[in-house]
Amino acid sequence: MSSKRRASARGRGTGLKIYGTLVFIFLYFPMVIVLLFSFSPTRTIVGLSGLTLKWYQELFQDPGLLAAFWHTVMVGLCAVAIATVFGTAGAFFVTRVEFPGKGVFRALVMLPFLLPGIIMGLTLLIFFRNLNVRLSMFTILMGHVSFTTPLVMFQVSSRLLRMGPTYRWAAMDLGANPVQTFWHVTLPMIRTALIGAGLLAFTVSFDEIVISYFLTGTWMTLPVYIYGMMRFGLSPKVYAISTIILILSLVLITFMARYTGRSAETYRARKPDG
Amino acid sequence: MKRRISRPGEFIKGIPIAVWLLALVAIPLLFTFIMSFYSSSGLVIDRTLTLKNYKLFFTDSLYARILFKSIRLALAISVLSIAAAFPLAYMVSFKVRRGRNLLFMLCIIPLWVSYLVRIIAWRTILGNRGVINSALMAMGLIKEPLTFFLYNQFAIAITLTYICIPFVFIPVYTALEKIPRNLLDAANDLGANELRTLFNVILPLGLPGLITGFIFSFIIALGDYIIPLQLGGTQGIMFGNLVWSQFGFAFNWPLGAALGFILFIIAVTILGLTSKFGSTEGGFLGE
Repeated sequence: MSSKRRASARGRGTGLKIYGTLVFIFLYFPMVIVLLFSFSPTRTIVGLSGLTLKWYQELFQDPGLLAAFWHTVMVGLCAVAIATVFGTAGAFFVTRVEFPGKGVFRALVMLPFLLPGIIMGLTLLIFFRNLNVRLSMFTILMGHVSFTTPLVMFQVSSRLLRMGPTYRWAAMDLGANPVQTFWHVTLPMIRTALIGAGLLAFTVSFDEIVISYFLTGTWMTLPVYIYGMMRFGLSPKVYAISTIILILSLVLITFMARYTGRSAETYRARKPDG
Repeated sequence: MKRRISRPGEFIKGIPIAVWLLALVAIPLLFTFIMSFYSSSGLVIDRTLTLKNYKLFFTDSLYARILFKSIRLALAISVLSIAAAFPLAYMVSFKVRRGRNLLFMLCIIPLWVSYLVRIIAWRTILGNRGVINSALMAMGLIKEPLTFFLYNQFAIAITLTYICIPFVFIPVYTALEKIPRNLLDAANDLGANELRTLFNVILPLGLPGLITGFIFSFIIALGDYIIPLQLGGTQGIMFGNLVWSQFGFAFNWPLGAALGFILFIIAVTILGLTSKFGSTEGGFLGE
């Protein structure tokens, strides 16, 4: 077609590329700063003299921090497990059952993810206080289940919609009962969506503070603990733990990208009939 | 097309999600709504119903003023986020062929970088002994550290913009990718230059994505209370802080419930408008 003209049109836009590069610098410069500070023996960046692992060693001598780390992992894993059950059930419900007002129902389910965290935090705090539930791991976990469930539901229901019902019908025609159909046909087809959703939910849960901050008593997750550390200024230890979290999230999203197929290609316009 | 209603037996599938919805969303919201009609005297919550809290919100100009200030700041953040994210999405979608996947990933990776780490980074950059000040002093441009970087609305705006950029990028990019490429060829063949194509073809077709991105960043910015606490100083008290403080040192839960409910109404109204005018698919959750 007009590939020649397109090519020439592509050649221009130098200004745009410079602007884009500046935005990339804006996006990545802060992360580099955190990384550098975590290895710096002094507290400044100018006159950076040598590198040190001192702050990382200190992290491992902080029992409160280590406990908070395991708390976060525990909350994350439990939240993912619960959210996967409820979210998947919800996905099957909204894709397979027809009823009036379904759009409103879907929107309601998405609310905990879309609303500002402060609203979820304070409504749950008031709820638990009214029921005389003491702030504990349980309250934090419920907070995390509230926003991870819609996440799982969204991922799984979009996979189910894309699959269509024909495979299920075929299995039923061949004599499979609903349980067999689910186990041998549907589940293998949504497996990667489940893994991707689980990783996504874990990443979000691992990092969550806005809601957790409302629901935390003395049992703290890592972000809440770090937030406490930040009240006394930014110690080099804060940079060290930040760097560890940074690397951990990068590893998690790399896996996530593999399972959800979240890449530029999946966003490409599909053929008009598809 | 006639809407089909499933057999009653099918609705069993909805029980788990309905239980979840009631327990973690609907009932907590209802409790909050009820508590917003209580009042607080000292440390005791008085359970007689009253409109006191809402009356305070509408009569004491402090609340409206802070809400207005927060809305203004959130709007500024949304505009800045779009100014950063739209050209980026336009570039990745139309201008790059090789390494698109990598660029795309680079644009959304910041989405999954810890919220706290980003706050820590910006405090480090903007602080009195921070990166900018140390660099300027080392270059001999200034003798004393400049104090206007941190603890004001500027610091909040820059940090929240940083957080919002990927949230805007994804819906905008999705909308741009949906534009059939032959429309651009058609515009080209009819003699439109790049700028004209941008304004007459790409912007109108990408508008739903822009609206969605705008709303996402607006809601994120309006509801945040941790960034104003960390980077805003006394100048940067936002509506979120006002709500939060009722559950902290001010210890007036009924007032906090009322203010929270007002924020909820604002957020839901805006989200409702988005689902009407914005693109609902290809949100940041999209597969």
